[in-house]
Amino acid sequence: MTTLPLTSKRYSVADPAEAIELCFEKGWTDGLPVVPPTEERVRAMLDAARLRPGDQVAYIAHRAVSVTAEKVAINAVMAGCRPEYMPVVAAAVEGIGEPVWSYHGPGTSTAGAAVLTVVNGPIARELDINAGDNLFGPGWRANATIGRAVRLVMRNVCGSRPGTLDRGTLGHPGKLSYVIAENEAESPWTPLHVERGFRPEQSALTVMAAEAPHQFYNQLSNTAEGVLTTLCDDMRISGNVMGQPQYMLVIAGEHMRTIAKDGWTKADIRRFVFEHTRNSHAHLRRTHRMAGPVKPGDETLMRPLVESPDDILVVAAGGRAGAFSAYIPGWGSKRSSQAVTKEVKR
Amino acid sequence: MEILDPTTEAMAQSIAYAPRPASLEGKRVGLIENTKFNSDRLLAKIGDILKAEYGAAETRMWRKHNSSVPAHQEIIEELKRTCDVMVAGIGD
Repeated sequence: MTTLPLTSKRYSVADPAEAIELCFEKGWTDGLPVVPPTEERVRAMLDAARLRPGDQVAYIAHRAVSVTAEKVAINAVMAGCRPEYMPVVAAAVEGIGEPVWSYHGPGTSTAGAAVLTVVNGPIARELDINAGDNLFGPGWRANATIGRAVRLVMRNVCGSRPGTLDRGTLGHPGKLSYVIAENEAESPWTPLHVERGFRPEQSALTVMAAEAPHQFYNQLSNTAEGVLTTLCDDMRISGNVMGQPQYMLVIAGEHMRTIAKDGWTKADIRRFVFEHTRNSHAHLRRTHRMAGPVKPGDETLMRPLVESPDDILVVAAGGRAGAFSAYIPGWGSKRSSQAVTKEVKR
Repeated sequence: MEILDPTTEAMAQSIAYAPRPASLEGKRVGLIENTKFNSDRLLAKIGDILKAEYGAAETRMWRKHNSSVPAHQEIIEELKRTCDVMVAGIGD
């Protein structure tokens, strides 16, 4: 257990109710009440991740901000995390500090990105991070508080406050928390973290700057091609069509079983979706997404929605029942921000 | 009871701003384009005004890698060598 001093400024309050109100008054919350960050709770958080208060978890170059473990721990306490969630929170903060995630863009942009976080490996099951029913909805402490902690770090440490350095025009509810696990127990496919270079028994998470989930319906087809044809038709015009961001596909139980029954792998899904989500230049021009009048040849000149099939991240998650899945456009463009996968260190 | 401050307390930082020129007469102006649609046209127009109305000697435009990052080092180095003032900005 660390006995190193905590250096944050201290405020004296009469009781927890006053502490909660002080956090509101100071502008430290996301609009919901927080758990008062006492020294004892903050130390428990640091110890659970074996971090020292002064350890640098991330450095946000464009803001010249060093994010220390002490600040991450304080915000994790406020978010309502249990101490054992701290390694996950720290890995997510590490991820958004990576140069290719490019914090300043998604942290600030009018396009209003949230930090979509997918947790893989044993820790997801140990912490009961939901991978099933009501995937993006409320009801699971780990899902609700881990993402909340990351957003509080962005707000309180990195300066991403709505209206000043967070200029999201609309934002979306995922900016409160946007954490899911992959349903590795029932998935027939290679888990996301393994596709991205980790071993199955390692715990890792992937952070992607992302829009809200877009749900699509296919309650008719019992083939992989049928389900994915519907997906592609829904997805073809979505997100920043001209920007070519990365995308995440979240395939829930019924669709997962239908697609897997036909023997399709995640790589097959990526290839099919890449091929079937292209738009003609003529359509993009007619709908005022691509600048300029339609030119000869534009009807057959096709622009892919993403740069490459590898820019489509596929995750098996969501309830067993219901013929719905979702696609999630990444923020902006791949050129501006890319998904990052980090080991959860314990 | 005591609670801890979750924010980064501001550390004293001094930023060395280059001295502002008294006039743009005869100055070489660098324009940093942020890749957003029409930003090149807007900056070219600003450059024309700086030449016609403020007597700037010349303008030259650079293009950043993308709109959400600072100008990359090569741009900064070249600007330092070849320009007296620069214009940059971001807008949607």
